[in-house]
Amino acid sequence: MEKRNPFFFTADDADQLARSQAADRANEYLYRVLDIGQYMLQSGAEISRVEDSIRRLCTSFGAQRTDVLTITSSIVVTIYAPQFGAVTQTRRVAGQQYDLHRLELLNQLSRRICTEYLSLEETEAALEEIRKVPQYPFGVQLLTYALISASFSLFFGGSAMDAVASGLIGVLLRYLDRVIRQLEANAFLSALICSCVGGLLAASSVALGLGESVDMISIGNIMLLIPGIPLTTSLRDMFSGNTISGLLRFSEAILLALTIAFGFAMVAALM
Amino acid sequence: MDFSSYVLQLASAFAGSMGFALLFQVRRRKLLLASLGGLLAWAVYLALGPVMPQDVPRFFIASMVLTIYAEVLARVVKCPATLFLVTAAVPLIPGGSLYHTMRYFVAGDFAASSAQGLNTLLLALAIAVGMIVPMSFFQLVRRVRMWRGRETRQSL
Repeated sequence: MEKRNPFFFTADDADQLARSQAADRANEYLYRVLDIGQYMLQSGAEISRVEDSIRRLCTSFGAQRTDVLTITSSIVVTIYAPQFGAVTQTRRVAGQQYDLHRLELLNQLSRRICTEYLSLEETEAALEEIRKVPQYPFGVQLLTYALISASFSLFFGGSAMDAVASGLIGVLLRYLDRVIRQLEANAFLSALICSCVGGLLAASSVALGLGESVDMISIGNIMLLIPGIPLTTSLRDMFSGNTISGLLRFSEAILLALTIAFGFAMVAALM
Repeated sequence: MDFSSYVLQLASAFAGSMGFALLFQVRRRKLLLASLGGLLAWAVYLALGPVMPQDVPRFFIASMVLTIYAEVLARVVKCPATLFLVTAAVPLIPGGSLYHTMRYFVAGDFAASSAQGLNTLLLALAIAVGMIVPMSFFQLVRRVRMWRGRETRQSL
């Protein structure tokens, strides 16, 4: 039997090797592109923005053809070019952390990558930079919750005392929400607990003389807890042809809003 | 409604939008622009009061004006329209109506609950359609521009 030299290396093999090296490189690029897509989605971008950015990024990185499918919690991308063949990656996107400032930065970054043809290393550095951008300090965030609750309590016709009570309760509720979410409870359970506690606090603050109307205090807090971003982005999604994601997000947001209003109303009726 | 309650509503719409803009980490100049969007939406709603008494068309027009504001601003300031749209639409969200729906429902007054529920639903629909009309227009403009600049599309 003829023995084949294991080190025999044909032109075909060389081609194969070059292709697999190119594919490795393409995988690295694609990984970063998915990073950008994932952060965009988590920051509160619409589906069409995510898909469009991924498509443009892949094109600028040298893909001849890009197929993207994004739904609320997952991204699938296949890119193709003769140099490396077809490369596919998927990404499961869990957990939303709405941050419109980060979304804006990511949008700028993806534009920059496409116009200035940033290298992989430059892209990684820029992403790291964006990851490090701080959020508003904790104190400001607490004030924000108070501001939202108080202004909407006033907005829907509450008195000044109602606004104060609503503001204080708002801060507590958001804090409670954060604690519950850290226990990885699902959003509905968290919404139900928060709204029931909110209703109880509203009723007891009226009983204690801080605030006049349980309804007005509760409405301020409902506005704070209502999922505003999903409600509006889901409309944009549905309209731009991403019906699946739009419907998913929309029904989730509506159910959440109903749960929240139900919790407050139930406690108000029982008291 | 008297003048002072108009001012109070506008001020609280502004503050509420600003609250949401802060909550979603909007920065500096855009914070002010986003809050002004909320004020604008509610000002349109209030200004239409003498002309049309029903809430639904008023919400529809207010939401349309707001979306145009957001889309135009996004092009001027060069950032995603979502940033302004999401924060400024908050005063239009029928939170009060939703609460009253549930309140009647829990109290067992199903007639009032379904009437209020229908009202909430119609308001939400008015906001949605009000957003969709200008958005489709702006998308059409973008498509036409892209189509005309087909040759340069690769460089985007």
